[in-house]
Amino acid sequence: MLLKDKPSKVNPIYAAVGTFVLAVCVSMPVFGQDLENGQQLFQTLCARCHGILGEGGEGPSLKRAQLSYATDDDTLVSIIVGGIPGTGMPGSRQLRGGDERDVAAYVRSLGQLPEEPMPGDPTAGQLVYQDAGNCSSCHILDGEGTGIGPELSNVGLRRNVAYLRQSVINPEADQPRLVDRFRGTLNAFLTVRIVSERGTYEGMRVNEDAFTVQMRDVAGNFYSFDKADLISYEKALGHSFMPGYSAALSEVQIDDVVSYLMTLRGEN
Amino acid sequence: MKCLVTKSSLFLLAGSLFFATNGFADTSYQALLADESNGADWLSYSGGYKSERFSPLNQITPLNVDQLKVIWAYQMQPTGIGGAGLQETTPLVAGDIMYLTESPSSVTALDARTGRMLWHFVPDISNEVLNIGFPRINRGVALLNDTVYVATLDARLFALDAATGAVRWQTTVADNAVGFSLTLAPLALDGKIIVGVSGAEAGVRGFVDAYDAISGERLWRTFTVPAPGEPGSETWQGDDWRTGGGSTWLTGSFDPELNLLYWTTGNPAPDWNGDLRPGDNLFTCAVLALDPDTGEMQWYFQYTPHDTHDWDANQIPVLVDGEFRGEQRKLLALANRNAFYYLLDRETGEFLLGEEYSYQTWAEGIDDDGRPIVIPNTEPTREGNVVWPSLQGATNWFSPSYNPQTEQFFVANRRMGAMYFKADAEYEPGTPFLGGGEQAFDGDDASGAVISLDVMTGELQWEFELQTPPWSGVMATGGGLVFGSSNEGNFFALDAEDGNAVWNFNTGAHIRTNPMGFSVDGQQRVAILGGQTLFVFGLD
Repeated sequence: MLLKDKPSKVNPIYAAVGTFVLAVCVSMPVFGQDLENGQQLFQTLCARCHGILGEGGEGPSLKRAQLSYATDDDTLVSIIVGGIPGTGMPGSRQLRGGDERDVAAYVRSLGQLPEEPMPGDPTAGQLVYQDAGNCSSCHILDGEGTGIGPELSNVGLRRNVAYLRQSVINPEADQPRLVDRFRGTLNAFLTVRIVSERGTYEGMRVNEDAFTVQMRDVAGNFYSFDKADLISYEKALGHSFMPGYSAALSEVQIDDVVSYLMTLRGEN
Repeated sequence: MKCLVTKSSLFLLAGSLFFATNGFADTSYQALLADESNGADWLSYSGGYKSERFSPLNQITPLNVDQLKVIWAYQMQPTGIGGAGLQETTPLVAGDIMYLTESPSSVTALDARTGRMLWHFVPDISNEVLNIGFPRINRGVALLNDTVYVATLDARLFALDAATGAVRWQTTVADNAVGFSLTLAPLALDGKIIVGVSGAEAGVRGFVDAYDAISGERLWRTFTVPAPGEPGSETWQGDDWRTGGGSTWLTGSFDPELNLLYWTTGNPAPDWNGDLRPGDNLFTCAVLALDPDTGEMQWYFQYTPHDTHDWDANQIPVLVDGEFRGEQRKLLALANRNAFYYLLDRETGEFLLGEEYSYQTWAEGIDDDGRPIVIPNTEPTREGNVVWPSLQGATNWFSPSYNPQTEQFFVANRRMGAMYFKADAEYEPGTPFLGGGEQAFDGDDASGAVISLDVMTGELQWEFELQTPPWSGVMATGGGLVFGSSNEGNFFALDAEDGNAVWNFNTGAHIRTNPMGFSVDGQQRVAILGGQTLFVFGLD
């Protein structure tokens, strides 16, 4: 029952980052609606639960390429107006006269990335993915590969060029937190090291509550532990099982594989 | 509206004669006065007028709690109302009958022995109902004599026959079209039903109401924001008071000896832009001591003057009797959303103690008068300003628990910061009146805990860490346990002495309500809602 250290203050840079994210999103046209109106209505009607930047709070983050309940725009409008029975999403029935579509457009814009030029050749990058990078040994793409790391079938919708490049060169730069900021759930790729009387286990946390933890190792084996039985339990914030590829791949190869990843939009 | 009278309720009707002659389900005012010491029943929201949420039953202890098992479960009824999927009710038990609410405002009576439904009341609430600033939930009913009282999302108050669920009367408390709602469990006094309102996020002017329990006639109304010329009006400018907020959305406490009703108030409106309402904004973010016969305010204490972080003081005020700094006092203890724990003299409102119980970055402390020493530049800004705690606070509406035998005060504690934004706001009836908002931020590995405080000093005795900031309350028992729960679905028991976990059950769903306890056939029971399912646990 040790007292936890007090968290340190967060650099106000987050505020600037948030404003930048908002500005980028607002500048993007989405199915011809008034995004500024949608943003204003969102901040009035939706932000209390979803956060004023749409990045989550009591309700989930909407800064996602794909919204699990809203597979198309009509469904998104229907949810915004009518809510979701069986959940805490009440809907905003006062939205009429096109305002509901403006809000939907703004919500959709939150998870969309700006257009960027490809830095390399995606066709060559596909070969790098398959051969030199051997990426499928850890990632699933369109149903093929091994699921140690994140699935990449729609990574081009979710990540921009800078993020993809950084992930290839230095995967640990985007440190997994205890909680996934954009999903509001536990981070599925947090590295953990668990020591019990049965042995020492390293892998990725799959789930956790106050009493138990579930993990899988890089071989895909699943383990479940009662915390009370553990000798030690460490969360390795900032660690990734993925190696950096700055030495294994040339600059051109890195540009090519990043370009290939940009083409992966979940269409297969 | 409809009322389902089941076959079981026919037997209940016949049985009511038996109950009446045997006093089996005594829900009189006298019974409510004795609720704290009556472990068999749970007759009011917080388990008694002192709001201790303490079950004196002691069959379940740290030594045998590992033998707890599910005795029965009840699945909430499906509803076509969007957003009515969160459940925050505390069930009440009178004799062999349990009464609970289901979102948004239905009432269900169950056989407390088996969980079988006796009746189910569904008020005719439109899907168009406004709920601005909070979910479509309800926290429970009040019982008095043979009547069940429920406050509804569309701002009505119903009196239902306890045996059948039939409507005895209903009255409109306020206008939902301008943003008023009722989500709280009413409080039953001697012949009166007390309710408060939600709606500060819509710019309502808050109030506390008393209704005649028999006729439904309104007996008094006390506004929480003074009109010009009234005491406290000097803390407002111009017409700001008309949209000043000060909601009263959580059940209060009552001292029958002092004949004082204690009711808490929420944020001023608009929430995050204090420029639009200069001044201390009395009587928002405060606790009020009211004469229950007239509604007249006897004293007040404002926890957060000129709040700009939405730190409602709508937490449970717990009435504590004991020796404070060598003197026997009648106290009011409250762990505030603003991260400070307070003790007041509940006869006079005198400030006695204010101690930080959770990490915060907005105040250096509380001065001798009870006023926070605010750190400059911690208000919301247009660019965003990071402050702990988040708008949901270091705790929230979910209940603390007080064990009078050990003088321990247990709190479900949220540990989370937020980036606070200020924005323009223009009042329009029936629409959000916010003036900004908040955003959770990366790098804040938010967590939670159940903590034990020395009730007289606020000193931390132990803590039990949770994965994420909780949305559920706690209940201590005479068996030396503290029951709590988590977002991850754990319903657990801690040893009250040291905070060590001694039992855990995975309900499989997010828990956002309070535990309660009762007994049936002489067997101790503990109940919790996980998701849409009410679980009742016991040893046998």
